[in-house]
Amino acid sequence: MKLKKIAKVLLSCLVAGALFTGCGGGDKPANDSGDKPAASTGNVKLGMISHLNVTEQKMDEILKMVEEESKVPLTNFTVTYYDNLKLMQMGIESGSVDQISLYTSVADYVIANNDKYEKVSDLTLKNLSDTFCFAVRKDDAALKADLDKALDEMKADGSLDKLAKEYITDVDKGTAPPAIEIPMTEGAQTIKVGVTGDLPPLDYVSADGKAAGFNTALLAEVAKRSGKNIEIVDIDSGARAAALSSGQIDVIFWVVVPTAGKVRADIDKPEGVELSNPYFKDNVEHLKLKK
Amino acid sequence: MEFVDLLYKIFLKDGGWLTILNGLWVTVQISTLSLLLGTILGSLLCFFRLGKIKPLKIAAQVYISIIRGSPVLMLLMLLFYGVFARQGLSPILVAVITFSMHTAAHVAELLRSALMALDKGQVEAARTLGFSKWQAFKLVTFPQLVRIAKPVYQSTIVNLIQWTSVVGYVTITDLTRVINNIASRTMQPMITIIGGMIIYLALSYLVYGIFHWTNRRRTQ
Repeated sequence: MKLKKIAKVLLSCLVAGALFTGCGGGDKPANDSGDKPAASTGNVKLGMISHLNVTEQKMDEILKMVEEESKVPLTNFTVTYYDNLKLMQMGIESGSVDQISLYTSVADYVIANNDKYEKVSDLTLKNLSDTFCFAVRKDDAALKADLDKALDEMKADGSLDKLAKEYITDVDKGTAPPAIEIPMTEGAQTIKVGVTGDLPPLDYVSADGKAAGFNTALLAEVAKRSGKNIEIVDIDSGARAAALSSGQIDVIFWVVVPTAGKVRADIDKPEGVELSNPYFKDNVEHLKLKK
Repeated sequence: MEFVDLLYKIFLKDGGWLTILNGLWVTVQISTLSLLLGTILGSLLCFFRLGKIKPLKIAAQVYISIIRGSPVLMLLMLLFYGVFARQGLSPILVAVITFSMHTAAHVAELLRSALMALDKGQVEAARTLGFSKWQAFKLVTFPQLVRIAKPVYQSTIVNLIQWTSVVGYVTITDLTRVINNIASRTMQPMITIIGGMIIYLALSYLVYGIFHWTNRRRTQ
């Protein structure tokens, strides 16, 4: 009787597994045939991570402006927006999109960890880049000033570049950079920083459950320089804006389009949020599944 | 072999399984506490709902329809980022409050439907035979109530466990959050999510198993 039950459960798991792998396998040939005409008409289905606080319509407008400004053809992409990298990855693996848009550092990490992916060799994209910064509440001007000061110092003495080299460029392919302990000083002011763990090697959660990556290393350095305690809070990416505005956390990470001129850097900045100086810049890179 | 290596890398390497267990523990904690509080609160609500005091009756009715008619994630976000934002309550406490409130509404409804399914005549007969109100409830209504409500209660528990998967929105690292983090770190979302599903499935089957066991003990 019991054996029968166990066998039933195992069988249903197997069926579920077969269903999933079957779907992935079945989609591949369809992808192969569908890709070629798509490329010739210049209409590629592209997955992108949605920016906080920007509607998809607004995002399309921004992309158009970026295209005019940078002369990189973007309108031949049909963009689907995903909440986070994991969902986007499932999107491309199930065949909903042909390519996914990432940053070079993240793309390298994906390729090192999952050999199904390869880069799209499209050189025009190399002209595009985004910069990373912190976002704080507008009424928290003192915090923004402190963060900016720490970042400027780190930029001036080269430790920012060193950190980027250590935690992004020099990281062994396939291995994740080590987690770093953020020093805590007794009695100092504590600020809470929200991390999502969604963007390795910049921001991820290590196997033992600790937040790690370049962002954490950066925060440790900022904590040292500003004399503040930094508490890292793991939060779902969809709730970051609510958490920031309600005061449950004080700092989140933000990405801006750095193009000067027509496209303002803070074009997707929501009301009541202030952005710090940028601390890292990365190029846009597209990935596709290997044929 | 390669697949086994991949599984090892995703679920076990560098103490990854410990992190998963921690996440599972958080999920179990929130579910158990919410179930306990929710059941007590739900019984109370059902008492008010079927009682004779008009204002309480209406209040219970309104509460149940609001809570049952809105997604629990909205309630959770509203409580954590709105109502309790400045109180400094721990996120887990807020999650337990939210899910207790949610479970209470469902338990109240399931108790009400079970009570309505009972034969009123039996209580009346018991009363005419000289049983007190409390005795009639304890000896006639309650045993039958348990029998009727049990299967629905069981699925409420399983639902509750699954509802708790949204607590990642309020800075709690539960099982779903751990699975998501692993998926992002290892860049293998499909396998990781199937693994997570199996863990949730096992948890649900554990609940079914416990109910099955209590049923068997009763019949023996």
